[in-house]
Amino acid sequence: MLIDGLLIGGLIIVVGIGFSLCFGVMHIVDFAVGEWVMLGAYTGFILVRYFGHDPMIYLPLVFLIFCALGWAIYPLIYRAVSGKRHNPVLMGLVFTFGLSILAKGGALSVWGYHIQSITTWLSGKSLALGPLTIPALRFSGFLFGILITLLLMLFLYKTRLGITIRATAQDREMANLLGTDVRKVGALVYSLYAGVTGMSGILIGALFSIHAAMGVKYCTLAFFVVVLAGMGYVPGVIIAGLILGLLQSFVGVYIGGRYNLVALFMVMYGVLLITPKGILRRGI
Amino acid sequence: MPLKNGHTQPHTSASSWRWALLGLALLIAFLLPWPLSPLWIRIATEVIMWAGLAQSWNIIGGYTGYLSFGHGAFFGVGAYMTGIVMLHLGWPFALGILISGIAAALMAVIIGYPTLRLRGAYFAIATWAFGEMIRQIATILEITGGAFGMQLPAYLNLPFFYYLFLLVTGLTYLTTYLLLERSPFGYKLLAIREHEEAAEMVGVDTVIIKIKAFALSAFFPGVLGGIYAYWVTYIHPDSVLGAQLTDFMVVMAFLGGIGSLWGPFLGAVVVQLVNRVLWLVWGEGTFYLVIIGAAICAVVLFIPSGIIGLLQSRIFLPGTAWKEIRKKVKW
Amino acid sequence: MLLQSHDLTKSFGGLVAVNQLSLKVEKGTILGIIGPNGSGKTTFFNLITGMLPSDSGKVIFNGQEITKLRPHRIARLGVGRTFQIPAPFSKMTVLENVMVSAFLHTSSMKTAKKKAEEVLKKVDLDEKADFQVLNVTLEDRKRLELARALAIEPILLLLDEVMSGLTPVEVKSAINLIKQMHRQGLTIIVVEHVMDVILSLCDRVAVLDYRRKIAEDTPQKIVNHPEVIRAYLGERYRARG
Ligand SMILES: Nc1ncnc2c1ncn2[C@@H]1O[C@H](COP(=O)(O)OP(=O)(O)OP(=O)(O)O)[C@@H](O)[C@H]1O
Ligand SMILES: [Mg+2]
Repeated sequence: MLIDGLLIGGLIIVVGIGFSLCFGVMHIVDFAVGEWVMLGAYTGFILVRYFGHDPMIYLPLVFLIFCALGWAIYPLIYRAVSGKRHNPVLMGLVFTFGLSILAKGGALSVWGYHIQSITTWLSGKSLALGPLTIPALRFSGFLFGILITLLLMLFLYKTRLGITIRATAQDREMANLLGTDVRKVGALVYSLYAGVTGMSGILIGALFSIHAAMGVKYCTLAFFVVVLAGMGYVPGVIIAGLILGLLQSFVGVYIGGRYNLVALFMVMYGVLLITPKGILRRGI
Repeated sequence: MPLKNGHTQPHTSASSWRWALLGLALLIAFLLPWPLSPLWIRIATEVIMWAGLAQSWNIIGGYTGYLSFGHGAFFGVGAYMTGIVMLHLGWPFALGILISGIAAALMAVIIGYPTLRLRGAYFAIATWAFGEMIRQIATILEITGGAFGMQLPAYLNLPFFYYLFLLVTGLTYLTTYLLLERSPFGYKLLAIREHEEAAEMVGVDTVIIKIKAFALSAFFPGVLGGIYAYWVTYIHPDSVLGAQLTDFMVVMAFLGGIGSLWGPFLGAVVVQLVNRVLWLVWGEGTFYLVIIGAAICAVVLFIPSGIIGLLQSRIFLPGTAWKEIRKKVKW
Repeated sequence: MLLQSHDLTKSFGGLVAVNQLSLKVEKGTILGIIGPNGSGKTTFFNLITGMLPSDSGKVIFNGQEITKLRPHRIARLGVGRTFQIPAPFSKMTVLENVMVSAFLHTSSMKTAKKKAEEVLKKVDLDEKADFQVLNVTLEDRKRLELARALAIEPILLLLDEVMSGLTPVEVKSAINLIKQMHRQGLTIIVVEHVMDVILSLCDRVAVLDYRRKIAEDTPQKIVNHPEVIRAYLGERYRARG
């Protein structure tokens, strides 16, 4: 159980990092995060259905598709939250909220309420690790999470562009004064975020199930890790993802699975009240 | 930018026109149940309920600028409260809805004190987490019937509920008008929305004022929730605490125009009617979500001040429209 | 003494913005505060008005300690301030902006409106009373700042660079306005970069540099103070003259 929680945490971290960067750079809270996951999962599902092969090989393709989608949508988001607006925070919230309703409604209209699943060659196999047996798929999901996280971290910490992005996320006004083109950085971040989130969608779809209303669950989890991490603070997301895993396992084992969500929301609400900048107090 | 109608508009003939219009609308609202079939009375009742809910959200979200994304919780608490009072205590309905309103307002005071210190997106996420938490709690508790919900005694009297909703929603608008459009309280709320520090510097006790506004904006959903519970007789966490409650309050207020007296009303009428007409045409469907989602995005992008802003820009007055056209098309 | 600060200190992270600042303002006088950019003038105002909590030190106003009071309480005791960057209530009219202040003393709409109109007349903004703030110029926004502060009927007025960005003619009328308010019994602290303004207005001048006070004296003595000349006036005032 404990291990299980951690394994899922790995994937949420990937989603959380992009989400957190979005908040830092554009000051928007993307209510549509769960819908990106859902759309990613469906894209994987459709690709497998029409072209066969294992869903894993479509990961890069889906990444590219969603990067392009994010890139295409960004100008609209920018327009919604640009400085000319009287209340950019509200506009951003409501706009992404509209996007999420649109995506969910679209998915429901096209695919209905059916629950789908993707099977991969790993499905059903499991790995023996000493005394533990771990479902191979979950493990690979976890590995994928770590891998992408590492790549993202490398990008954010070792490349000039990445450092610019982080600096912008930590203090947008300052970055603006120093001559960073915040709009361009935003476009980049948003498409990167859409790409990794869509890509994670495939794995999440393979691990669990796919349905049009699945978004809200991942929206919840992403909000949770980002709030704990401190919004806009990337390294915190990793720790928060691990805490998420631990919390879910712990509540599941000792209190009962049905208290899982209550615990999640209570912790999230409590953290916001007590230390709104996250447990490490490094958010913006 | 259309000039928002100020608080200090003189009583000209335009304003007496407005009163006449309002009187007419009220008269129509009163007589409405006569010509309508039961189905349409139901729909009209829903529209009126939503108009009240959207206005309640507008008090904190539109006038005060604190975006509550957990406002459905107050409606749900109201619904359950009336259910519990009637079912477990055997008290009358009238007492039930009063208790519902007070309970919701009290809850708003208690959570408002710590939560209203947060700003912007932080407040939005915190209220969202709170709302979801309440829903999860309702699915677990025994007194609420858990995930199965609660069956109230049935009272099948459509006009009764229609007029009751009309009364409470009417009170919501009257309160908004008197307290927010025509009194110091409303000015202080706007000041907080526009610049909270500056408001403090001129002596506005922002903490108290915000809590009052939050409690006010929770009271009416509490009452409306109580009436709703008795009206539909069967309530469960998804029906009275579901995310769609908050969603629709925000969407309606926003489409109509936030921070204005009549915006939420227009939003509620448009959204709920479209919703129901689509439902009548296509049956139980999800396509209305697509339309609503697209409409929200379009409003944010093109008319951020909502339908009311569009109306106030007078583009619809024939004379203005003609002038606009003359300006654009040169020949 | 109307206002006294004792060893007032505030730092942001590692940066000390105000360092052990002690100042006194006599009732009915005008104190000028000068100092280069970032020397902590605005932060000092924020500490007095309670907008920021201080790290240590005390503020005493009218014989009462106000260090830990919430901002609106301090405003009610009679401390009015203007913001360096005007912070109007944008989606309200000019008149409504000032009415918010007037509600501190009345809850009648009529009285508040009359009071606000009076104050607007005083700062020469009455003609634009019904304008949306979004549609008025920077100069008018500065006047509005002043009007809003005056409408709470303060005893002490904190003016944070109300003249910057104004033309010489506008500066002159602003100086007259401040003098007139002073004659009516108001105690004022003026933060300004323009030395002429300080010289023509103030009874005493305090000079901040590197977050601490390096001198406090009458304007005549300040301009001849060796340390002040070296630290601050040197570059600015001499360069002009
Ligand atoms: N809220 C804040 N958070 C972090 N640093 C701040 C904050 N407010 C002020 N500072 C810093 O404190 C220092 C003093 O700033 P302050 O605004 O008080 O200076 P000032 O004397 O008013 O300057 P100016 O003449 O430019 O108005 C500056 O270095 C500024 O960057
Ligand atoms: Mg300053």
